[in-house]
Amino acid sequence: MIEEATDAFLTQTAQRNEQLAGMLTKILVAAQPGAVYSEPVTKGAYTVIMASEVSAGGGFGSGFGSARTPPRPGERSQVSQAAQASDHTAEQAANSGSGMGGGGGSSGRPVAIVIIGADGVRVRPVVDVTKVALAGVTVLGTVAATLWRMRAMRARAAK
Amino acid sequence: MRRLTDHIQWRTMSGQPVVAHDLVVIPQSRALVLRLPHGFWVWNRPSGVRVEQRGRASDLPIVDLTRRIQLGLLGVGMVIAIVGAVRIGLRSRYPGDPQRKGTPA
Repeated sequence: MIEEATDAFLTQTAQRNEQLAGMLTKILVAAQPGAVYSEPVTKGAYTVIMASEVSAGGGFGSGFGSARTPPRPGERSQVSQAAQASDHTAEQAANSGSGMGGGGGSSGRPVAIVIIGADGVRVRPVVDVTKVALAGVTVLGTVAATLWRMRAMRARAAK
Repeated sequence: MRRLTDHIQWRTMSGQPVVAHDLVVIPQSRALVLRLPHGFWVWNRPSGVRVEQRGRASDLPIVDLTRRIQLGLLGVGMVIAIVGAVRIGLRSRYPGDPQRKGTPA
């Protein structure tokens, strides 16, 4: 019985591993240049390519286990060793289980625009104002906290 | 035995060339790939473009201005925090030293 359960688990694991491998292959496309550069768009005399930063990550895990059931009181004296072992194995198989889970995500941000024209190639950077503003607010907060602490220390020393 | 390079890879790759006017533009990217036993992480960013024109090639770097501004702000913040912490430390250690502008005890 436990062998059947193990076989079923191994078959399921193999199928899930194949699915995960397929998923990983799809997500690892993020490591290709095609993920970073957009398709060129031509408008009039200019061709524009968008360059973006891409990051992707993921993880997965799996587990298999069986519940250990303690022998019932008086079981040892009444049932033979072989029967007890068989019962225990069947019970273990009935109480076994497996699980698997995974997750992942990806993000992208435009970094620059490549403009190809008759006058040559130009690279124009793209500034993410939200990110810069957030960094500025964080730095201002840190500086304000430091200055406030310095003033407090000075006031304490003056007393 | 697995080596570190099996888990961490820093790849530089070239994309499909784009032909426009008499220019051939080859986009290039750098990717950091982390392969872990139960996961992975990929960070891919554009590094520059190679421009070929009449047999001559030149490289145009792509600068991540947002990242540079962020790092600059972080650097400024860290310098101010460190200077402040050092001054606080000096004041508490030498409270009466006029050289260090502390108040006489």
